[in-house]
Amino acid sequence: METIGADIIIQVLREEEVDVIFGYPGANTLPLHDRLINSQVCHYLMRHEQAVAHAADGYARATGKVGVCIATSGPGATNLVTGIATAFMDSTPMVALTAQVSTSLLGHDAFQETDIIGITLPITKHSYQVHDVNKLAATVRQAFELAKTGRPGPVLVDIPRDILSSKCRLAEKQLASSKINNKAVEDHEQLERIAKTLNQSERPILIIGGGVKLCNAFRLIRELIEKAKIPFVTTMMGLGSVDSVNGYNLGLIGTHGNELANRMVHQCDFILAVGTRFSDRSTALIEEFAPLAKIAQIDIDPTSIGKSIKINLPHVGDIREALMALLPLVDEKEKSEWLQRIQAEREAIDGKAADTGCGQAGDFIRMVQEAMPVETTVTADVGLNQIWTVRTWQARSPRSLITSGGMGTMGFSLPAAIGAKVGTPERTVVAITGDGGFYMNIQELATISYYNLPIKIVVINNGHLGMIRQIQDLFYNARFTTVDLGSKVDFVAVARGFGIPGSRIAVAKDPMAGIDAMVRADGPYLLEAVVDPENYVYPIIPPGCSNIEMMYDRLD
Amino acid sequence: MLKKVREQEQTISILVNNQPGVLSRVGGVFGRHGYNIKSLCVAETTNPEVSRITLTSESDPDFTEKIKKQLDKLVDIIDVSDVSGQSYIQRELMLIGVTVKEGAYLEILRAIELFGCRIVTMTPDYFILELTGQPDETAAFLKFFQSFGVEEINRTGLIVLQRTRPKRKV
Repeated sequence: METIGADIIIQVLREEEVDVIFGYPGANTLPLHDRLINSQVCHYLMRHEQAVAHAADGYARATGKVGVCIATSGPGATNLVTGIATAFMDSTPMVALTAQVSTSLLGHDAFQETDIIGITLPITKHSYQVHDVNKLAATVRQAFELAKTGRPGPVLVDIPRDILSSKCRLAEKQLASSKINNKAVEDHEQLERIAKTLNQSERPILIIGGGVKLCNAFRLIRELIEKAKIPFVTTMMGLGSVDSVNGYNLGLIGTHGNELANRMVHQCDFILAVGTRFSDRSTALIEEFAPLAKIAQIDIDPTSIGKSIKINLPHVGDIREALMALLPLVDEKEKSEWLQRIQAEREAIDGKAADTGCGQAGDFIRMVQEAMPVETTVTADVGLNQIWTVRTWQARSPRSLITSGGMGTMGFSLPAAIGAKVGTPERTVVAITGDGGFYMNIQELATISYYNLPIKIVVINNGHLGMIRQIQDLFYNARFTTVDLGSKVDFVAVARGFGIPGSRIAVAKDPMAGIDAMVRADGPYLLEAVVDPENYVYPIIPPGCSNIEMMYDRLD
Repeated sequence: MLKKVREQEQTISILVNNQPGVLSRVGGVFGRHGYNIKSLCVAETTNPEVSRITLTSESDPDFTEKIKKQLDKLVDIIDVSDVSGQSYIQRELMLIGVTVKEGAYLEILRAIELFGCRIVTMTPDYFILELTGQPDETAAFLKFFQSFGVEEINRTGLIVLQRTRPKRKV
């Protein structure tokens, strides 16, 4: 058999140790899909290209490896867009391969032709269209290199069909030359200043962002916390970087965060921010964020530094290297007055609120976690179910909680759970979703059923777009519109139709019966948990308010 | 969000890989951050694999710093530098079409001589003039001839070179 462009791609995938890809074929991908038959690359056929990208994203987040997805030209490529944007916002390393019409047809408005490079320009780290089969190997290699170095992100390679089927010789192995890596300048003096300010501060707080996860700096960040006895908060993307069951953990910051985390950030005199971009969800009203604090920020991406907030001590560089250099400079601290003050606040807040602020839905999620093994990965969708999950699920290990933080993509959790299960088959995987998000990629039940992936699907059904309903309730005078999804759909019957067993419970009555059945199931299982549409999330930061202006109920 | 503070004109020189699509990536960065490009010039350098983009934009003072960081992230960008200062030679070529009314002939001819510009073509009532100069010269030139009636303008946008021999080769 002659070697063609498609073989080059498979060769590079193998060089990159890719053994799993997610995809959906079309006429223009066929040269590649044809050659996958005899390859060592396992291709998971999803039921929609959006889910293809989310699965690759979930795979990457669960394993730390580059996620690879394939779609055909035209609608196949455009269906990837939401998934690519989701990966881009959360800096997931991903390579998206799209087929394109033959080079002779480019620009002819040929069947299933679209300018996917143009469409994805603002949501990819970089993109390539390959016009010469001899450059294919170097291009795909560079795409991988780019996707995983610096601040990771999705890279798209658009390959015309004739390039995929062009005869060529197998490419020689070589490392892609990358200019991206060398931009960060290690500034040791700045790290010394950061350490000095931290050592002198009386009320320091560490903010852990998603960057810590992206560069596997878990051990180092834990060492820093223990040595400096510095309390920490996490952003949504940083959850799990340090075992959340930890005396120094103040919780999640931001508009849906924990009260303790937000209050303490407001009172602190020094912030060490590691791998976070200070998104509006984390800071709420930026002008009033941490008004008493000097801020030091460590990030690999220079554009993330000082983008939204003034930084007193910026440091551009690799987080691992920075923490390694910082650790010896940080003083070993004794238990401070600050930690005592935090403890007093913690007790006051715990005494005030009887529950997690998430009502019965939150209690239910806690019960689900308690019924699962410690080695469980949870994916959360977007909306109330996401906030209930991130507020109640104890993220015990770094890659155990996966959710779309920056983009807030509904329909993410089910396909992301597929990617997580494929990437970490030894772990139990639970996909939590609301009814709204579940509808958005409901077709992936077919993928789960086809591959018999033992994913535990929890659909928390309130018959509404719950978070939007809460916003209308609180801030639009309870004028409810376009949020009622109805209660006629029987999700258990739908799952059965896809070949997946399931059951329905009301969380107010006897949730354990359903949870037990889900735990016992060997294969996939769907648990529909009905909750009250007024089971909201509190406290909540109203739009345009600072992180400490919290609403505790409708009357606030 | 469009930037409201408009402080001064900034000139940036960007060395890029000479490849299709690079200009749209650069333009996208400006557009996404709400910066309007006032003038733009793209040409090959001594190395045919590298092009130089020279552009000017009227923006807030931290514009260069911000945009430089964003541009630096693009894979096809080799170098970004602020070339607004005195150590750079700045030139622009401008073509204008001027209506010549009766009685204004002599005054126009004298101005042409003073400005050191060239008549590219002329009919009894219409001149096309060409001027190369620094931004203040082209501005003065344009302002002067506007009093006679400028029908059309086209200009190359600013091009810039460092006064001294560059330290590194492109």
